This record gives sequence, C-alpha cells and structure tokens, in this order.
Amino acid sequence: MKRNLFLTGFCALSVATAGFSDVKVGNPMAVTGPIPELVKPMTAAIDLAVDHVNSQGGFFSGGEKYEVVRVDTGCDAVGGVDAVTKLINVELVTAIVGPVCSGVAIAQAQSVTIPAGVVTLSVSASSEAITNMESNTDLVFRTAASDAYQGVTLAELAISKGITDIAVSFANDDYNAAIAAVFVEAYKGMGGKITGNEAHEPAKASYRSEVATLGAGSNNLALFAYYGSSGITIMRNALETSAFSSFIGADGMLAQEVIDQIGAENLKNVTFTTSASDSSTDAFKAWKKLADAAAIPASDPFVPNSYDAAFLMALAIEKVGSADRSAIATALREVANGPGEKILPGEWKKAKEILAAGGSINYSGAAGPHDFDKNGDVAGLFSKNTVVDGKWKAVVIK
Amino acid sequence: MEQLLGYFLYLMSLLTVGGIYALLALGLNVQWGFAGLFNAGIAGFAAIGAYTYALLTTAESTYHYGGLGLPLFVGEIFAMTLAGIIAAIIGFICIRLRADYLAIATIGIAEIIKLIIKNESHVTNGPRGINKIPRTWEHLTEERFYTSPPLNWIKDQESWQLFFDSLPYWWWQPFFAGTILLLVFIVYLLLERARISPWGRMMIAVRENEGAASAAGKNVTRRRIEAFIVGAVIMGLAGAFLAQHVKLIEPTQTFDPSKMTFLVWVMLIAGGSGNNRGAILGAFLVWFIWSSSELVINGVIELFATMFDSVDIGILKNRAGFLRMLLIGLLLQLILQKYPKGILPEMRPAISGKFN
Repeated sequence: MKRNLFLTGFCALSVATAGFSDVKVGNPMAVTGPIPELVKPMTAAIDLAVDHVNSQGGFFSGGEKYEVVRVDTGCDAVGGVDAVTKLINVELVTAIVGPVCSGVAIAQAQSVTIPAGVVTLSVSASSEAITNMESNTDLVFRTAASDAYQGVTLAELAISKGITDIAVSFANDDYNAAIAAVFVEAYKGMGGKITGNEAHEPAKASYRSEVATLGAGSNNLALFAYYGSSGITIMRNALETSAFSSFIGADGMLAQEVIDQIGAENLKNVTFTTSASDSSTDAFKAWKKLADAAAIPASDPFVPNSYDAAFLMALAIEKVGSADRSAIATALREVANGPGEKILPGEWKKAKEILAAGGSINYSGAAGPHDFDKNGDVAGLFSKNTVVDGKWKAVVIK
Repeated sequence: MEQLLGYFLYLMSLLTVGGIYALLALGLNVQWGFAGLFNAGIAGFAAIGAYTYALLTTAESTYHYGGLGLPLFVGEIFAMTLAGIIAAIIGFICIRLRADYLAIATIGIAEIIKLIIKNESHVTNGPRGINKIPRTWEHLTEERFYTSPPLNWIKDQESWQLFFDSLPYWWWQPFFAGTILLLVFIVYLLLERARISPWGRMMIAVRENEGAASAAGKNVTRRRIEAFIVGAVIMGLAGAFLAQHVKLIEPTQTFDPSKMTFLVWVMLIAGGSGNNRGAILGAFLVWFIWSSSELVINGVIELFATMFDSVDIGILKNRAGFLRMLLIGLLLQLILQKYPKGILPEMRPAISGKFN
C-alpha cells in the first residue's frame, strides 16, 4: 500500500515538475484549521497576483511562469514545519510567501527556512515576537504590521479621548494576549492608569464575575477578544450590570454582528481599531479595481497584504534575474523600499520593462507602501471604527 | 543533485517526526496495549515533557521563567521524570476507574494541564509560547554551547565557528533523525523485554481478567499504576523531542488533542495495539501517508491539468487541503477493514521467555 502510494506520488511529481523553467514560490497557508473562511479570500488574492504576473509576460526574458505551490499548515507548528520542509526540499522553491498564523511563521522560520537560508514573506503573521526573532540573518519579512504598532495606536487613541484610567480584559490566546500586553505598556508609558488587567478563557457562557471584578476600578474597558467567542458576551454582561460604559478594542471585535446583537443605541462609547488600508491612495484604488474585477473582497483582513506579498516576491525575483534563493532578501528590500519608479498593484509589465532597462522600482502596495525596516517589519496603518447609523464607520488614523 | 539532496532531507524530516510519533505510540502501547488503560490525555503528558525541556534548556529570556540554559540531556531527563511524577499522582487518584471513566478523567487532566500552561504566563509565556528551543546536534552551532564545556576543551571559539561554517547547513539533520530512531529502538528493546518478562505477562492477565488476576494474588492496582507511569515517561520524552523539532511550542495549537492524542490512537490501533512493532509501524505509516499525501494530491491535480487542458483546476487546488483529510480518513478505514486487529496483531509471549 505504502509503496504503491509513494510510486504514484513520485510519478505524479515528476510529471508535475517537468516544466522545469517555472519559477516556484512556496505558499504555506492555513487552508484547514481554525480560520479557513479568513484564509480563502487571501489565497484568491495570491492567485490573482500570480495571474497578473503570468498574463503580463511572466519572468525574465524567456517569460517563465510564476508558480505558487500551495500547501496546508492547518495553523499548527507540526503541520507547518512539515509543509515548509516539503516546499524547500522537494519542490525546491525559491522563497516562501505565506504563513498565516504567527505560531507557524515562527516555527517554520526557526526550524526550516532560516537554517536553509530561504526568505519568508508572511502575509498576516502579526505577532511582535517575529520582530526580534532573527540574529545575524535577514530572512524573515512580513507585509502585515506588528501587533506592537496597533497596541500603541490604541493607547494613543485612549489618551486622546481623555481616558485616564482603564481596565483591561483579554482573551487568553496568542493574538489577544500579545496585543493587550503592548497596550498596557504603552498606555502606562503615556501616563494612563491601569486599574485591572485580567485574562479570560474564551467561549464561556457568562463573564459576569470577571466583569464585576474589573468594573470596580474603572468605567472604561479595553477589550481584546474575538467577538464570536467571548467579546459580545463580555460587552453584554458589562452593559447589563452597568460595570462599564465605554469600550475600546482591536480587530477581533470588529464585526457587524456586534451591532446586531447588542444594538447600536448601546454602542455610543465604543471605538475599535483595525489595521486598515488608506483607501485614498492610488495604490489602493488600483487594487480595488483589480480585486472587484476578480470578485475578491478588497478590504477584508489581510487580503490586500496577501496580494502585495505575492506581487512583491515576484518583483524581487525579477530583480534578481534568476531563481537564486540567496539573493532574494536584498532584492526584496530594493523593490519594496526604493528609491525608484513607483509601481502600483497589477503593473507587472511596467515594472518588468524598467528592471530590464536597468532601472529601479519602488512598489507601493494595496495595504500600504511596504517599506521594510531593519527587522523586515512594515509600518501599519490603522483605522478607528465607531457606530454611525447602525454600521461601523472607519476613519483612518494618520 | 539538489533534488536528490532535497529528497534525502525530506526523508530525514519524515523519520524525525515519525520517530517522535513512534515514541508516543510506544508509550500508549504500554498503557493501552499492555495494561488496557484508556489514556485520552496523551497531549497533556507530551506538553509536560515539552515545556519542562524547553524551560530548562533555552537561553535566558525575558518572556518566560528561565530559561536555565542547562545541557540538553538534563532537560530530557527532567521531562521524563516530571511526566512520570504527574502520571503517578494522577494514577493514585484515578487508576481504579474503569476504561471509559479513565478516558474521561484523562481528557480532563490533559485540558487542566493545558489551561495551567496557558494561564501561568509568567512561567510559560502563556498562549504566546516558548521559542528558540535548542535542538540536539544543531544546538552545537549556538555560541553558548561551543563556548562552554565540553566543546571548549577541544577547540577555541574561533576554530569552532570556522568548523561549523564549513559544514553544509543541514549537517545535523541526519544526526537528529538518527538520534530519535536510536531512542525508538532502545525504548522498543526495553519494552519488548518487559513484555515477555513476568511483569508483561502479568499485565496481560490484569488486562484480560482483573478478577482472576487479583484472586491469584496479584496487586492489580499497583501494576496498573506502573504501566501508566512507564507510558507517561515515554510520552514525556517524546514531548521533549517534539519541542526540539518544532522549536516553538504553545499550548493551544501544538498540543491540540486532534493532532496529538487522537492521531496517536489511530497510529496504535492501525499498527496493532499490544504489539510494540505494530505501534512503531503504525506511527511511521500514518505519518508518512499524512505528510506525503499532500505532494501526491498536488501532483495528481497537476497531472489532471496537463491531461485535460480545458478543466479549471483552481477549484481542486483550493480544496486540496480538505481533500487530503478526506482521503486519509478513507485510507484508515480501509486499513482497519482489512486488518481489524491492526496490521501487526498482538502476539502472546512464549512461555520460554524468548523474543518472538
């Protein structure tokens, strides 16, 4: 049984790898696992970037095809390490565009890609632990902003709203715990007072005791949770018991369902931040047009970031001029940070011509300008969202 | 050449993870295969091993307790010891529970362990986990190891640096895989010896007919606790190596019961519970199929695309991840249909006490 399977596998593989001139990039995504519905439009955005590259002349002078090899990490470290091992050793990819979950991004980088000297460009890993993960190498990049930035933005927002004391409640998962920790540090540093700081287990039926404990100290609550698992319940309990009157929070809470379930009239003092794209830029307008034509939700979380990552990686490979793994990191910085001619989403042909003529380019992406700092991080742009006429209204914080 | 090296390294990675799962399956085999204890908390014992190892051996960090930066084998020994101690405590409390009640108790205990790890964040860094866990052999290339004994007795810092730079980046992979395979072999030999010894035969008596065994004067409870502890110690060791392999452990996804506890059960049942060779075979077989099926399915989809130009394969590609789960489930069904007692069924030890 096993041997047959392997034989079939190798036959299929050898056929699949027959077109040797293609440029392969690995794309580990959390196709299955806890967040499949979030990942689906992200994979569509990556495929769109591949389409744009291939339909506008492909790579190099020979027009080699851009091939993205997608594997499933399931959002867990064992699966992620296994998936990326296959990409690097069996598929011999030039670079990795992908890991969705921060845990997988860190595990695969430390376990596989950094030892092998392969560049990782993550599309949505936002953990602040990624920033200082590397020592002596420059191989991990991301097109999503670190949680550290959003936590600081939220602290600034709280101070500017005149909130001087606040209680913090966060869901005990890696994302919410991290952003809460950054918020608390930043808020204290700006002179705010934290009256209570408690983790809560997600998906409980009631949070009345948690809310009562925290509510004794302050009327303001900074809530870091996913709306579906604990966020809505906590807000409802808090409003029922009048423990809190005003709320701030981050991405996890931003959903129409919050308004539908709690009622717009109860959400007057609520502001949630989320990573945003500045829709007034040329780059976002260009992306929106392309995404709409392909029926991809242009502003969904990390969807523009995914497109940008796949497109940037293609530009870097074109800049290198071959599928050489070791030169990607430098080239990635050059095409993303400039200086050079500005390239918008979808403008592959233009970029290719400039590079062929020996010029330099500076990609300005749908999710932001993507100028990598020394840690391979990008600055984030965030919006504050308040309820207006029963809907969330986003205003970009500049 | 590059492709051949790639296949070789992929094989090393398959053997590494397969070996870790084989250790877990061997541990479960002592508990379920020998003594008939339904342990549904494998993830919990693996987590104890992994976290103990990680906290003791990582370099000092501001995110969690320690790390103490101890030699790796100390971490491994403590991982086994702590897993054994906790199993002993649990054993004294709930080993008298009958099969399904013990299963419920162990699921609960595994969840408690996970919740403790998640919430004691000043020790474990909570849900954000511990990273930069040192891996056997590869750890030698870290400065803190080659500048301390015993390595610095042999050469000075600079010549070590030069030496490691001169090696290919993957030099440690075959050694790491080999170390794990060696451990699997040692544990296998020990368990095989235990199985054919009077202790092992008594286990079978306890499992098959508890009343008769205790009427014959055997201390049934004590034997059950012993099996529970021995199994947990092996699981703790597997946890320590799992932590080394992934280099980042966090409580929620890494120790998800569906990928730890129940996958190990599938491996043991498919390979043949009660048979140590079956446990090892099941672990490698299931992991090989699980991992390589992704390549096979992607290859088949590509093949489809080249055979039928007109078909849009996008829809298949997007569903490949789910398709894989379905096919693996189906394959396991087939294996179990064909081999209801596992591929290598249990063999009763011969009275002579020889290996069979």
